[in-house]
Amino acid sequence: MRILVVEDERKTASFVRKALQAEGFATDVCHNGDEALAAASVTPFDAIVLDIMLPGRDGLSVLKLLRARKKMTPVLLLSARGEVNERVEGLNAGADDYLPKPFELSELVARVRALTRRGSENKSTVLSVADLTLDTVTHQAGRGGKKIDLTAREYRLLEFLMRSAGRLCGRMMILEKVWDYDFDPGTNLVDVYVRRLREKIDADFEAKLLHTVRGSGYVLKEQT
Amino acid sequence: MTIRARLTFWYAGILIASLLVMGVGTYREIHEQMMRHANHSTIERALGETGEMIFQAGLPAVVLGLLGGWWLTRRSLLPVSKLTDAIKKIHEHNLREPLPRANNGDELDQLAKVFNEMLARLDDSFNRIREFTLHASHELKTPLTVLCGEIETALRDDSLSPVERGRLADRLEELRRLARIVDGLTLLARADAGQIQLQFEDVRLDEIVRDDFADLQILAEPHGIKAELGSCEAITIRGDQHRLRQLLLNLADNAVKYNHPRGGVKMSLVRNNGFAEIKIANNSDGIPADKLPRVFDRFFRGDTAHGNTIDGCGLGLSIAQWIVKAHQGTIRIESEPGKLTTVTVHLPLNGETGERA
Repeated sequence: MRILVVEDERKTASFVRKALQAEGFATDVCHNGDEALAAASVTPFDAIVLDIMLPGRDGLSVLKLLRARKKMTPVLLLSARGEVNERVEGLNAGADDYLPKPFELSELVARVRALTRRGSENKSTVLSVADLTLDTVTHQAGRGGKKIDLTAREYRLLEFLMRSAGRLCGRMMILEKVWDYDFDPGTNLVDVYVRRLREKIDADFEAKLLHTVRGSGYVLKEQT
Repeated sequence: MTIRARLTFWYAGILIASLLVMGVGTYREIHEQMMRHANHSTIERALGETGEMIFQAGLPAVVLGLLGGWWLTRRSLLPVSKLTDAIKKIHEHNLREPLPRANNGDELDQLAKVFNEMLARLDDSFNRIREFTLHASHELKTPLTVLCGEIETALRDDSLSPVERGRLADRLEELRRLARIVDGLTLLARADAGQIQLQFEDVRLDEIVRDDFADLQILAEPHGIKAELGSCEAITIRGDQHRLRQLLLNLADNAVKYNHPRGGVKMSLVRNNGFAEIKIANNSDGIPADKLPRVFDRFFRGDTAHGNTIDGCGLGLSIAQWIVKAHQGTIRIESEPGKLTTVTVHLPLNGETGERA
């Protein structure tokens, strides 16, 4: 997997690259729009992390040009403005995801991973992690043959966590996918919901599946 | 006393005094002339008649003069009252609109001109403050991104001791709080500069309230706080879905944060006089009456004793107020110390027909 990071702020570019490399991505860095356009036209990247504010050609125009040239590489936009309108503008221009600054590194890595997995998503109607199952048609969850009743919101949370099984899910990402919030409400809503969900799926079982990664988010996986 | 009344009084005084001088002068002159030419008895009568004549002609002249004076002061001061009305309408957001001018170069026109120049300077300063806040919050985001990123990178190091890890994680938490404050400031600064376009559409307010109530229950549960939903009428308004959700979550969060342990929160949505009325009432220590008007101010904390223990960015109610105003609504907060604090939001039903429940 090869990722292009386009970010003019060198320190940011450097830790983003480090984090992506640590996750096993080969990572190239460009510091301005024209360089990025040239690089993306030659090298087939698996995903591009693109800052909007760049010297010279800005991120949105790079994105539009790429899409006009039929380059469909998944793009994650970064922006210091973090405004709903800008997000809509970005997604309309062909971006696949959008992250306002200051972002959480784990959030960024999780999103890049989600982008590169796009298309290879699990299409089956019954999701499972270890002995936990979730039927996406009947919305019925079960573990070890025992039925688990979920509220609508808990269902959406569990479905999201199970579709991203094994991957870290950041708080903002969960708020966005499960609540449709694209602002940080500054509450501990996610943590409280995860705690409730954990009581339902983990409390009665020896092997815990829903894990907290301190300061980063949550991951649903079988402990090895 | 208004300038007009004062001027009219002075004018009347002068008028009467001058008429008096004129009358007395004329009377004396006639007296002298007559003494030279005629006998005594006819003089007496003629003088009496002359006095009467002067009085009869003088009185209407005084009345006319007074009326004329009143009209004159009114006419000359009319531009001043117009100016007063125009100045009354000036507030922070319409400094750009200049006062109307007669353009005839008289004293009042000069005053309006100088005033307009002052407004332009004020507008300039206001804009500079707004721009400063906007730039400051943008500029803060880059170093914040770098700091958060570097600490997160450091946290990935497996060789860290638990103590070091805890210390770094605490620092990260504080940085994120700072990031939320900067986010809130950016939002408000952009709203002040008129840079935020709300996406208006038909939204089911009752669905948003129900959704928010579900979140409220979850937030309240760990504190043993009982959440209750009163009437929730089906209401559709023109609004920005995301902003309205942000507003309600904000209020729900406050209702839990500033509550008593094992307290209660009650939410309701009803139609009231052409408005959708959302009420959120919660038990709390209350806000002293003298601090109530200031709770919507940025970074204002009503209860300084709790200021440090309650985690918040201090901008929540300012943001809530902005969202409500952007929907042409009103928000107010009432508090009975030691008992209940109630936030009431009115959002216009615009266009919805007056079916009442």
